[in-house]
Amino acid sequence: MSARWAGAASALALLLAVSGCRAGETPHGNGVTLRMLVPANERPFWMPLTESFAKARPGTRIVLEEGPVPTDLRESLTTAALLSADGAFDLVYLDVTWTSKLAAAGWLLPLDGDIGEAERAAFLPQALAAGFFRGRLYRIPFRTDVGLLYYRADLLAAAGIAPPRTFAELEAAAQRLQSPPELWGFLWQGAQYEGLVCFFLEVLHGHGGSWIDPGTLEVGLDRPQAEAALSFLLRARVPGGISPQGVAAYKEEETRHLFQSGRAVFLRSWPYVWRLAQREGSAVAGKIGVLPVPTLSGDAGSGTLGGWGLAVARSSRHPAEALAFVRHATKLESQRLFCEATGFAPARADAYEDPALLAANPFLADLGRIHAGATPRPVIARYAQASDILQRHLTAALAGLSTPRAALASAARETRLVLGEAP
Amino acid sequence: MSAGTLATRARRERVLLLTPVLVLLALVVAIPALRVVHLGFTRTELDDAVVSSWAGLATHARTFGDGRFLGALRNTALFTSLSVLLEVTLGTALALLLDRPSRGRGALRAVVLVPWALPTSVMALAWAWIFHDTFGMANDLLARLGLLGEPVAWLAQPATAMAALVVADAWKTTPFVALIVLAGLQGIPAEVLEAARVDGAGPFQRFRRITLPLLLPSLVVATLFRAIQSWGAFDIVYVMTGGGPGGSTETLALYAYQSWFRYLDFGYGAAIAVQGMLLALVLAAVVVRLASRREVE
Repeated sequence: MSARWAGAASALALLLAVSGCRAGETPHGNGVTLRMLVPANERPFWMPLTESFAKARPGTRIVLEEGPVPTDLRESLTTAALLSADGAFDLVYLDVTWTSKLAAAGWLLPLDGDIGEAERAAFLPQALAAGFFRGRLYRIPFRTDVGLLYYRADLLAAAGIAPPRTFAELEAAAQRLQSPPELWGFLWQGAQYEGLVCFFLEVLHGHGGSWIDPGTLEVGLDRPQAEAALSFLLRARVPGGISPQGVAAYKEEETRHLFQSGRAVFLRSWPYVWRLAQREGSAVAGKIGVLPVPTLSGDAGSGTLGGWGLAVARSSRHPAEALAFVRHATKLESQRLFCEATGFAPARADAYEDPALLAANPFLADLGRIHAGATPRPVIARYAQASDILQRHLTAALAGLSTPRAALASAARETRLVLGEAP
Repeated sequence: MSAGTLATRARRERVLLLTPVLVLLALVVAIPALRVVHLGFTRTELDDAVVSSWAGLATHARTFGDGRFLGALRNTALFTSLSVLLEVTLGTALALLLDRPSRGRGALRAVVLVPWALPTSVMALAWAWIFHDTFGMANDLLARLGLLGEPVAWLAQPATAMAALVVADAWKTTPFVALIVLAGLQGIPAEVLEAARVDGAGPFQRFRRITLPLLLPSLVVATLFRAIQSWGAFDIVYVMTGGGPGGSTETLALYAYQSWFRYLDFGYGAAIAVQGMLLALVLAAVVVRLASRREVE
C-alpha cells in the first residue's frame, strides 16, 4: 500500500470511473474555446499562430496548456486526458509514434474525408505517411525530424579526411582523430529509451536489416544483419573504441553537451542540435557539417523519421473549429513563423524552397535532401511494447548481460509474441 | 440524565463528526482502490480498440510466466532491502549525532531535513548528472581521492546503476529515518542511562543494552515506512535510469505504469499493482512480526 502506488492507481481509476463530469469550458460570449497541450518550451512559438488564428476566425480562441518538456510525460498526460474522454483537449499535438496507438484506441477523428489529395500533396510524403493508420489519415504533420550525422568539418579538413559514408570510414576517421577522454570519436544515444531505438534502426537499415514489417508483421531481429548492426554498437564501446562507456546511459542532451563543448568528432542526433551548436558561445560554432547516417555500401543512409503533428480528439465538441486550426497551423505562413523562430524542420515541402526560411536557416537545404530518405518507425498499434522489448534487449547486450545474438533472438521471440495473439 | 444516554449521545456525535472524513476517504481511496482490484480481474487493453471483459484470475496468472515481472520483482526487492538497510543504519547514526547537545543543534536539525523536502524528481535529475561519466561529480571526486583510475559509467551497468539509485534514495530519505529515531531517542529517560553509567557500563554497552532496545519501536516504525515506500519506488527510477540498462533497475511500480500508460494494458497493469500491494502487506507483516518477537525476548 505504497502511497505513490495508491496515488497513481486512484488517479487512473478515477479517470476510468468518472468520465464526462468536467464542467463545460467557459466561452467568451458565444465563442468557441479549443484546448491543446504543448511542451512549455514551445508555447511562446505557438502564440503567434494562435493569435493569427483568432484574428482570422473571430470568436474562436485556442488555449495552450503548458505541459512538461519530456516526451514520455506528455504521452502519459495525453493518454490520461483522452482516456477520460471529457473533452479536456480538442487538439492533440502528437509524436510520430503515438498515431497508431491513439488511433487504434479510437481517440482521434479520421481526417481523410476533410483533407483531400490537393491538401495532402503540400506535405513531405514521409511526414504525411506517418499520420496514417489502417488506411485512414489521423495526423497532419506540423514539424518533422530525421536522424543525422553531425561532424567536425574543421578537424576532418585539417586531417584531409573526406566526410565518411560507410560505417568503416566512420570508425576509421573517428579512431584517427580522437584522443579520449578529451576528444571522443563518435557519440550516440544508448540509454534505455526511444532514442536508442531510433539510432539502432539507422544502423540496422544501414546494414540491410529490418525490425518489423508493418504490413506482414514479420520480425527481422534474429537475422545476421541485425547481429552485425548490434556488433557495431558494441565495438564502439569496447576499451579503445570510438565511444565512451557512458554512451550507454546518454540521451540526446548529454551527447549534445559533449559535442557542443568540442569533445567529440561525430554525433548522431536530430536537426535541433544545429542551431544550438552554431550559437554564439558554442565551442563548435562554424566548425560543423551534417551528413546522412552511414551505411555498409556507402549509399546515403536512411535516418529515422521523427516529428510532431496535429490531430483532432474524438471527444472534442468543436471538431470543425479544431480542424480549421490544424489547417491554419500548417499553412506556409504559419510554418515560416514557427520554424524561423525555433529552427525546427517544417513539414511542408514548399517551406524548403521558401526564400525567407532558407535565408534564416541555410541548413534547411541539407535537411530537405536528407529528409527525403527518412525511414518511419513501424506503424502498429502495439508499437510501445515492441519498442520497449528492443530497448531492453539492446541495453542488456550493451551492458554485457547477454551476447548480441542471444539478446536479438530473445527480442525477436518476444516481439513476435506481442504482435501475435495477446500473451 | 443518566450516564448511559450521555455515552450514547457522545457516540452519536462522534459518528456524525467522522462521517464527512469517511465519505471523503471512501471517494478518494477506497473506491479507486477497489476499481483497480476489479480491473485486475478483467482483460482491459488496447487491441483493435480498448476492450474490456471479465477474465477471472487469468490476468493475474500472466505474471507467473512473465520474465519481466519476475525481474521487476527481484529489482524491487533488491532496491528495497539495500536502501532500507543503508537508510536505517545511517539514519540511526545521524540521530545519535543530532541528539548530542551541541551549539546550533536546532539549526542543524532543520538543515538535515532539506533533502527530504526536495521533490524526488528534481533531486533524481541532479543525481543522474552527479553519476554522469564525463561531467559527473562522483567520478571527479573519486578520481581526486585516488580511488578511481578510469571514469565509471555508473548508470550504464546493472550493478552500478542499482548502487547509484540506492545512494540517491539514501541521500533523500536518511533524514526522515533520522527524524523518527531522534524522536525515539528523546523518549529514553536520561536517568536510565545515568544509572547504567554509575553501574560501570561503557558507551558501547550502554548503546547495545539500553539505547537500542528502547529505540526498537522507533526503528520498526522507520523501517516499516521506508520499506513500504521503497517497495513502490517509481519517480527516482523513472528519472535516473528509466529502468535500464537491460531492465535491470525496473521496479514493479514502473512496470505497472508502463503497462497502463504506454501499452494501454490496464488489466495487467492493475494486476501488477495489486500483486505488488499484497507483497508489500506481507513484507510489512514480516517486519512487525520480527520486531514483536524481539520485544518479547
